[in-house]
Amino acid sequence: MACRCRRVSVEFESTGTRRRILEGVTFDLFEGEFVAIMGRSGTGKTTLLRVLGGLLDATPDATITFNGQPVDGPPEGVVFVFQNYAASLLPWRTVDRNVALGLEGRESRNEIESRVAEALAMVGLSDRAKDHPWQLSGGMQQRVQLARSLAMRPCGLLMDEPFGSLDAMTKASLQDELQRVHQRTGATVAFVTHDIDEAVFLSDRVLILEGAPATIGHEIPVDLPRPRDQLTTKETPEFLQLRRRVYDALLGTDG
Amino acid sequence: MGSARVLLRRVNGPGVLTMLVLLGLWEALIRFGAIDFQNLPAPSAVAARSVDLVLSGELAGNVVHTLRVTLIGWTAASAVGIALGVLLGLWRPAWRWSMASIEVLRAVPPVALVPVAVLLFGFSVRMELLLIVYAGAWPVLINTIDGVRHVRTELLDVATMLRLSKLAALRKIVLPAAMPAIAVGLRLALSLALVLAVVAEMVGNPRGVGNALIAAQQALQPEEMFAYVFTIGLLGIGLNAVFRSVAARALPTPAPVRRRGR
Amino acid sequence: MTTVPVPVTEDATGFGEVRPSAPRPRRRRGRGGDAALFPPLRGLLPLVGLMAVWELTAPDHSPYFPPPSTWGEGLADLWRDGALLPAALATLGTFVVGLGVATALGALLGLLVGAVPGADKALGPTLEYARAMPPAAVVPLATLLIGYDGTMKVAVVTSAAVWPILLNTRAGVRQLDPVMLDMARSLRLSPVDRGRKVFLPALLPSIFLGVRVAAPVALVITLLVEILTQVRGLGALIALSQRNYQAARVYGLILVCGLLSLVTNAVVTALQTYLFPSRADG
Repeated sequence: MACRCRRVSVEFESTGTRRRILEGVTFDLFEGEFVAIMGRSGTGKTTLLRVLGGLLDATPDATITFNGQPVDGPPEGVVFVFQNYAASLLPWRTVDRNVALGLEGRESRNEIESRVAEALAMVGLSDRAKDHPWQLSGGMQQRVQLARSLAMRPCGLLMDEPFGSLDAMTKASLQDELQRVHQRTGATVAFVTHDIDEAVFLSDRVLILEGAPATIGHEIPVDLPRPRDQLTTKETPEFLQLRRRVYDALLGTDG
Repeated sequence: MGSARVLLRRVNGPGVLTMLVLLGLWEALIRFGAIDFQNLPAPSAVAARSVDLVLSGELAGNVVHTLRVTLIGWTAASAVGIALGVLLGLWRPAWRWSMASIEVLRAVPPVALVPVAVLLFGFSVRMELLLIVYAGAWPVLINTIDGVRHVRTELLDVATMLRLSKLAALRKIVLPAAMPAIAVGLRLALSLALVLAVVAEMVGNPRGVGNALIAAQQALQPEEMFAYVFTIGLLGIGLNAVFRSVAARALPTPAPVRRRGR
Repeated sequence: MTTVPVPVTEDATGFGEVRPSAPRPRRRRGRGGDAALFPPLRGLLPLVGLMAVWELTAPDHSPYFPPPSTWGEGLADLWRDGALLPAALATLGTFVVGLGVATALGALLGLLVGAVPGADKALGPTLEYARAMPPAAVVPLATLLIGYDGTMKVAVVTSAAVWPILLNTRAGVRQLDPVMLDMARSLRLSPVDRGRKVFLPALLPSIFLGVRVAAPVALVITLLVEILTQVRGLGALIALSQRNYQAARVYGLILVCGLLSLVTNAVVTALQTYLFPSRADG
């Protein structure tokens, strides 16, 4: 699923004053790519992602297309993964029924059952299918949200700091899972994060939003070989150099 | 007999004891003439009269009437309250063009409307029912509106993101998310319904516990009066307890973690 | 369909289509902001409309639905008869005294139950049962034991209004910061000083919150007692007018009661804001 954004601007109005958050953001997402979107706090990374996900409107002169189709509301085949995983799951449904939410009414019952089982297996939660979300740990809840997304077999994943509030070990294991899923399904991923290591480790390209209103200030290709390993890849000089480049770009200390 | 011990631990020992002590004190004070309200009966006399009432079936008959009216009225009030509440909660224009009126009408206590009800409908079961429905609808309405309007934004985002139809979003996300608030409204309406049933019966309806209470008063039967007052109290507690247990079963919520040895 | 987004306040779903939600400004929700704001005034239209229709369609001397214009006359009659003012004063008097006694009693009991370990468990069931007793049922007992006078009214009102105050005080005691209690002890303050300078000021907001919840209850129960027993007050006037089929007076008096409840609530709220300005409005 390829995405094309041209001149995306977003404006907010609150108590009479208008404020431009994003100005003329222009970029492409190529099919099967994993792109990290970074920027300092408040630059509008989440805003941009929500615009891509059809959850927010941009100004009229913007063009956003997915596979050539203009975006008007949440695009077909694209799934948004929320940062606040606990709040995005339905507490009154069991895990398996949560995972099935996106498929109900759209697939046959047998198909739904098999996809739910498949998705839960992919994230390693098959044995917790009948529990309620609040009985699971934070990392597990995020995995449930992931499973819900995967069950829909999306061609595009928009992820808003999905691992931001998890501890280091859980984060690492979920990153590996995400990598595996990405390689298996070939989906296009846009991943917002403020963790530099995570951005370089997971992505093929890092986009950095800068300025107020924000535009794409830097674009850093990450051509580390895949599959990547939590320990060995992060010790290679190439990784460290890329890490340094992203760091400088964020701080604005590069030329 | 481990189960008996578990039961004993669940029963509030000191609490029950205190109650018995207070009752005993009351009994003793009357017996020894220490307090002399002319009309205050001893608990033993009340208990004896209660037994009579139960055995004669009179108590049961009155209780059944009151309960029946309460539950029917409450059901109707809940239906009206939820239906209107969902409409006003979800449809902004409807809310904007009516909420202020609702806030004003709410300020009039249902109690003040009892005379109006008697004026319009006389002394009848119909008066009792209409009063209950009117009064009970308000808490349900307000709480439903509140619950529906305050569904977590993340859940609404999920509904948008999954491109659910309006009806599907309502059925799968908005209503279940609003259920806890709606349940509170239902519980308030239930106790309100009982209270108004009793008041309506006391003011002018030839049946029910409220009426029996007034009849006992007019017949100068303090023991019977106390018996009915205690019954009404038990009814209130009973209804509340039943509602809570049904609600707990229907709405699975995270149980607080219990520390060992508490 | 791309337009400039405007932050929506509470709900994002319109009934027309599921619109893209705009981010809301970082405003804290539920901090009294929602409750304190009155909904848009245009919402009064249905009520005004109802009154207008009523006024136009009901015959002046309808025994059941006299038009609103006649209510004023009914009230004026009562005023001229010298019945309205004393009744209003009687109701207010009972309300104030009943609320006052309930405050003292509720605060004391709440303190006891909250502070003395074991008191809660021992007194719990008794208090729960007493609380479940509908005030209406208590009225015949009160008239039996006390009689048909102001004392009886106050007793019933107190018995109903004491509960919110008790519960809130108890909660307040439980929420006292142990650090503050330790501090009071480590400064070697005398028990009296501890109570006066530390506990009481710390508990006052909770007690007052209870009073705020209890005030409408006190007013309603006052009216209830008056309606049921015909002891002097607005409720008694309403019942009397109803018996005499003077419907216009009944409606007019209900209006007065509604206004009275609005006024008392406003006064209590204003008092709370004045006395405890820093406390987040519950």
